Amino acid sequence: MIPQNYIEPDIDFIRKVGKQSGASFKECMQCGACTVVCNLSPQENPFPRKEMIWTAWGLKEKLIGNPNLWLCHQCGDCSSYCPRGVDPANVLSSLRQINYEYYANPSFLARALNKIIFLPIVILFPAIIILLILLLAGTMQIPDGDVNYSLFFPHLHLNISFSLLVLLVAFGMVLSIKKFWSDIKNNMPGVRSYSLVKSFFSVLKTILTHKQFSKCDTHKYHYWAHMAVFWGFILLILVTLVAIANVLFFEYPMSLMHPAKITGNIAGILLVVGISIMGYQRLTNKKGTGKSTYFDWMFLIFLLLLTISGTITQLARFGNWSSAYYIYFFHLVCVWIVIIYAPYTKFGHMIYRIVAMTYAKSVGRL
Amino acid sequence: MSKQTGLYICSGCDIGESLDLKALASIAIKEYNIPVCKDHHFLCGDEAVKIIKEDILKKSIDTLVICACSPRAKSDTFSFGKNIQIERVNLREQVVWSHQPGTKDTQMLAEDYVRMGIAKTEKTSIPKPYINDNLNADILVVGGGITGITAAIESAKAGYKVILVEKEKKLGGWAGKLFMQVPLSIPYDQLEDPIIYQKMKELEEIDSITVFTSSAINSISGEPGLFKVNFSANGNSQALTIGAIISATGWNPYDATKLTELGYNSLEDVITGVDLEVLAKTGKITRPSDNKEVKSVLFVQCAGSRDEKHLPYCSNFCCMTSLKQARYIRSLNEEANVYIIYQDIRTPGQYEQFYQQVQRDERIFLTKGTINGIHQHNGQILVNVQDTLLGEKISIGTDMVVLATGMTPNNSEELNLSYRQGKGLPVLKYDFPDSHFICFPYETRRTGIYAAGALRAPMDIAASMEDATGAALKAIQCIESAKKGESVHPRSGDQSYPHLYLDRCTDCKRCTEECPFGAYDETEKGTPLSNPNRCRRCGICLGACPERIINFDDFSIDSISSMIKAVYIPDEFEEKPRILIFVCENDAYPALDIAGQKRLEYSPFVRIIPVRCIGSINKAWITDALSRGFDGILQIGCKPGDDYQCHFIQGSELTKTRAENYQEALETMMLEPERVQTEFVEIDDYDKIPEIINNYVELIDEIGPNPFKDL
Repeated sequence: MIPQNYIEPDIDFIRKVGKQSGASFKECMQCGACTVVCNLSPQENPFPRKEMIWTAWGLKEKLIGNPNLWLCHQCGDCSSYCPRGVDPANVLSSLRQINYEYYANPSFLARALNKIIFLPIVILFPAIIILLILLLAGTMQIPDGDVNYSLFFPHLHLNISFSLLVLLVAFGMVLSIKKFWSDIKNNMPGVRSYSLVKSFFSVLKTILTHKQFSKCDTHKYHYWAHMAVFWGFILLILVTLVAIANVLFFEYPMSLMHPAKITGNIAGILLVVGISIMGYQRLTNKKGTGKSTYFDWMFLIFLLLLTISGTITQLARFGNWSSAYYIYFFHLVCVWIVIIYAPYTKFGHMIYRIVAMTYAKSVGRL
Repeated sequence: MSKQTGLYICSGCDIGESLDLKALASIAIKEYNIPVCKDHHFLCGDEAVKIIKEDILKKSIDTLVICACSPRAKSDTFSFGKNIQIERVNLREQVVWSHQPGTKDTQMLAEDYVRMGIAKTEKTSIPKPYINDNLNADILVVGGGITGITAAIESAKAGYKVILVEKEKKLGGWAGKLFMQVPLSIPYDQLEDPIIYQKMKELEEIDSITVFTSSAINSISGEPGLFKVNFSANGNSQALTIGAIISATGWNPYDATKLTELGYNSLEDVITGVDLEVLAKTGKITRPSDNKEVKSVLFVQCAGSRDEKHLPYCSNFCCMTSLKQARYIRSLNEEANVYIIYQDIRTPGQYEQFYQQVQRDERIFLTKGTINGIHQHNGQILVNVQDTLLGEKISIGTDMVVLATGMTPNNSEELNLSYRQGKGLPVLKYDFPDSHFICFPYETRRTGIYAAGALRAPMDIAASMEDATGAALKAIQCIESAKKGESVHPRSGDQSYPHLYLDRCTDCKRCTEECPFGAYDETEKGTPLSNPNRCRRCGICLGACPERIINFDDFSIDSISSMIKAVYIPDEFEEKPRILIFVCENDAYPALDIAGQKRLEYSPFVRIIPVRCIGSINKAWITDALSRGFDGILQIGCKPGDDYQCHFIQGSELTKTRAENYQEALETMMLEPERVQTEFVEIDDYDKIPEIINNYVELIDEIGPNPFKDL
């Protein structure tokens, strides 16, 4: 019989967090300065002090499905005040990364996306699938005349195939969220003080206004950069939906002066600016951002490539470039990597964070 | 031979503006016939000093009364060689800076201080030191552990012959039983081989150190420079004369059998830190129960320490020892898990780096926590821990539990002192030999015997080595002071010593009992036998003696009585009460000076007499003052108690008991008990002192004048 509260450190877990974070979290002396300075930590059961000792003791089960990890926005206040320099922000970031892998469905995808050696496969896989779809559509050639992408990749095929893929991934995601939800409930039981719907909308508002980011004292750029990327992305999604509607019901392609087109281009600029700030900070401000892993860079770079390739695709159409269709193809691969792979990359934070924050809100921890 | 006195008044620093200096001078001339009496606007300046020096030569002046600033200021300037007696009248800090200028009361205060100063010089002389020509300068080190060995090496390096005696067959002590040692050198992050072996080698190479092992001290008598030490070494008796002694008899681990709640008695695999060192020396750490190599070890810090039921104090070394042991357990076994349950990890000294180095190990787990049960479970020991930093109660399965037990000092009676007050060194808290632990470390209450290392306070090897060096310097200082007939700390350099007029001694034993330093031995009858080199010159014996037969050349019953009698007491109808204040020279007097420097005012009705220690106040002075017509007497000393601040340890404490005697005296004189009161202050209480004084003056005002006035 295993006695109650029996503790057994998971050495592999300790090593993994150590390797990913590069932080010397074992040296944490549990002073609690991190918890005190954190503006996002709730009064009751605050973080990240306890998460630090759980990590040092290798108590994996306490750190998988821990909602506190997602209340953290990695603003770095804790790390900048840590007297031992053990970088709690970075440790929590690594713990989140471990959570993506743990909850991913299928999990091998998360593992593949987290290792640089699989990068060629990660890129080749969507390329081949898209080629197969093109083969199926019978458009496996560069069309003549003015650039018209729908001649290359018929909209019907595009919309149906990509929507199906999104649905497939979403199904896996639903399974992940289900497990995640039950884990966070078990890990941090609480009395429900708000309904889930009310909590969800409250969280949505918090996210749209970046209220949590605005509480960060140490790295103000974080707020602005994330705001730009976030809104850039949202706007582009909206523009895409408008574009799909246009294809179905109105004229296509849209002119450059179409309000949706203007919005889309502004969104593109926001994204590029936001990502550039983030990338620049990761390169120059290592203390502020913590250790940047492949996981971080992969998401950031493909998001940037997606934005840039989209913009160039558009230019190529108006300019009737001969390379237009190749650029479009590349853009589609990027779309795949960012959107279809989303739950297995760092982009997954979007979903886990909303879920965890909604839970936290519902039990009065937000 | 009558004295030729010169009295000099400084008019600088507001003194001239606040007082009528002519009137002051006329007191010296008319009342005391002082032949040379001058004033100067800048008495500590070169010009004035030159005048004084000329007067000394031309007018054969041998006694100077300097009426200027506090004796605590300008002592070098007003020093004119060892043949010139100096008396300082504190007109600046304690008269013009702390009282209304130009008033009659302030003038009267200054006049009384001049009278008191002159009266004192009439009854005192320059001390003649106690010098013995046959003093020995060898140092005896008792105990051959890391402290004793370091003390011996350091003393020898300073040029002193050393005799080291060790109880055991081999030198090394606890430090010699270690497997590895915490880092003592930069960058303080790796384990080191015990330094004791290197030190033992160094010791062997020094010719001026003689080592006796398997030794025991049979008796120690005498005084610094003349200690008679009898000891037996390997069965042979030896007798030596010794200059000073360093006691480094060390410590023992706290008795773990008392820690039943931690399973020491019931579970075989619960051991102590000391046991673990022995195990580790074999190169493999195995369980006592089945001799299997352990895969996990749990350390319980503060096992019986910081616990009112066991040792209430922190032993200072256990945290570092457990961190060290965790480190070597891990280096001996790659797969072993180490848990450390602590109250607080304390890293006194240069160990923060090492602590971090240990923490970095992926298999060393630390948490604050309280042990809530240790028992056998499935071939392992299950340890329940509560109040952890993990936020909940936890259970840990481990192969072995190590109790980090604290240090207890060895009994210093091993010194076998044949002193009137006992064989050992007096202790205060927790049985550690006591002297003032902050101000005067190493000093014990036995002059010339210096406690060092874990005998003195719980400490580790690095601290013990430092302590040993400190004690060696103290021992050397003591020998050199004895050669010059001077006192050691805290009255370093004082050449006076108590003279006993034994013809009138009634063998009451109060001096031999009350001397805080056990300076007096006794004849069978109970007559005191003085050992001047053991004396710290506090004057507590002077205060104790009911026959008033103990006096110093420059501090005596008569000198203070004369000062008391020199004060002019106005009659009852003048409504000018007179309060006598005895203040301790160590804290209260400087505090009064600071009050003056801060221009804090207090009643001018008080007359202040500094004394060596509040314990040196003799009852005769109290009765003298009361019968002379003083309305009240206030004594101000340092804080007594466990956290005492008395520089002579017992002075303030004794005052409390003596106060009862005073009350009897007051009763027989039919006087109110409030007429004698005692207050305790610290040096930084300068802001409270005026209030204490004023409140007392008010109280006396309420009681009314002393009926003995004008009798």
